[in-house]
Amino acid sequence: MTDIIHEPELDHHGEHESTGIENRKLGMWIFLSSEFLFFGALISNYLLYSNRGGFPSPYPAEIYDIPFTSVSSFVLLMSSLTMVLAHNALSRDDQNGARTWLFATAALGSVFLGGQVFEFTDFVVEYGMTLSTNPAASAFYLLTGFHGAHVAIGVIMLLSLWGISRRQGGLSEKHGLNLELVGLYWHFVDIIWIVIFTVVYLLSIPPV
Amino acid sequence: MSEEHSHPTPAQYWKIAVVLAILTAIEVALFYIDQELQLGFLNAALLISLAIAKFIIVVGWYMHLRFENPLLNRFFTGGFILALSLYGIVLAALGVLVIRGG
Repeated sequence: MTDIIHEPELDHHGEHESTGIENRKLGMWIFLSSEFLFFGALISNYLLYSNRGGFPSPYPAEIYDIPFTSVSSFVLLMSSLTMVLAHNALSRDDQNGARTWLFATAALGSVFLGGQVFEFTDFVVEYGMTLSTNPAASAFYLLTGFHGAHVAIGVIMLLSLWGISRRQGGLSEKHGLNLELVGLYWHFVDIIWIVIFTVVYLLSIPPV
Repeated sequence: MSEEHSHPTPAQYWKIAVVLAILTAIEVALFYIDQELQLGFLNAALLISLAIAKFIIVVGWYMHLRFENPLLNRFFTGGFILALSLYGIVLAALGVLVIRGG
């Protein structure tokens, strides 16, 4: 009966399954693919309500500050570069480099979040567009707010890894996989913003 | 860490970032060109194409999907196509795509 147990698989590759991929990595990719459904629902919700007239103004598309959001988008795109450079530095066992790029990624993410807080504050204080002004505003805050929450979680994970690296003098192989997983999450947040920037900001039409 | 295939070098990552920045600049320029010239459907098609290009570059090179196990590609692409199909059908059924095209 003991012949049934596949010892070699249990022995050296405890985290591997028959797929040849680390379970946590496979799990992260499946999680990210499921996130498409989550953000797809929020983007569809925005598209459904963005130009539905008959409600009090302003609508989001009337007050977007495209130059400001373009800079925010650029910052988030560049944070993907610093993230991949952190991953690359760690793969070369350049612990200082990995730590520096991790911190840079967290800093750029924080700048993006600061920009979002400024944008929301501006919309509410200057234009009076609150969560309940009209369905388009609700959909806008819901979508970009949830994206911002994802960025905030990403920043916390990045700073945690940075802190572990500082405390332990570097990231071990186990934490190296953590960095890879956080990197995947971070890039995913970036690609969702690529879609949001185009569909929500650049292609939005206010109701006539 | 799984380095199954040779990944891009840091210099190549920087070049990819420059390409992404240029594509973003073109997107913003298109937005303002459309304000003046009212390109309509052409503007939408160009902006969506640029977004798809940026999406593929980040997923393929920064997320390393093109260098990874094909199983991951199937999971990720499958989830994306499922979401795209589902919400495409929902939005078409609710008339949103027709309204926005018109």
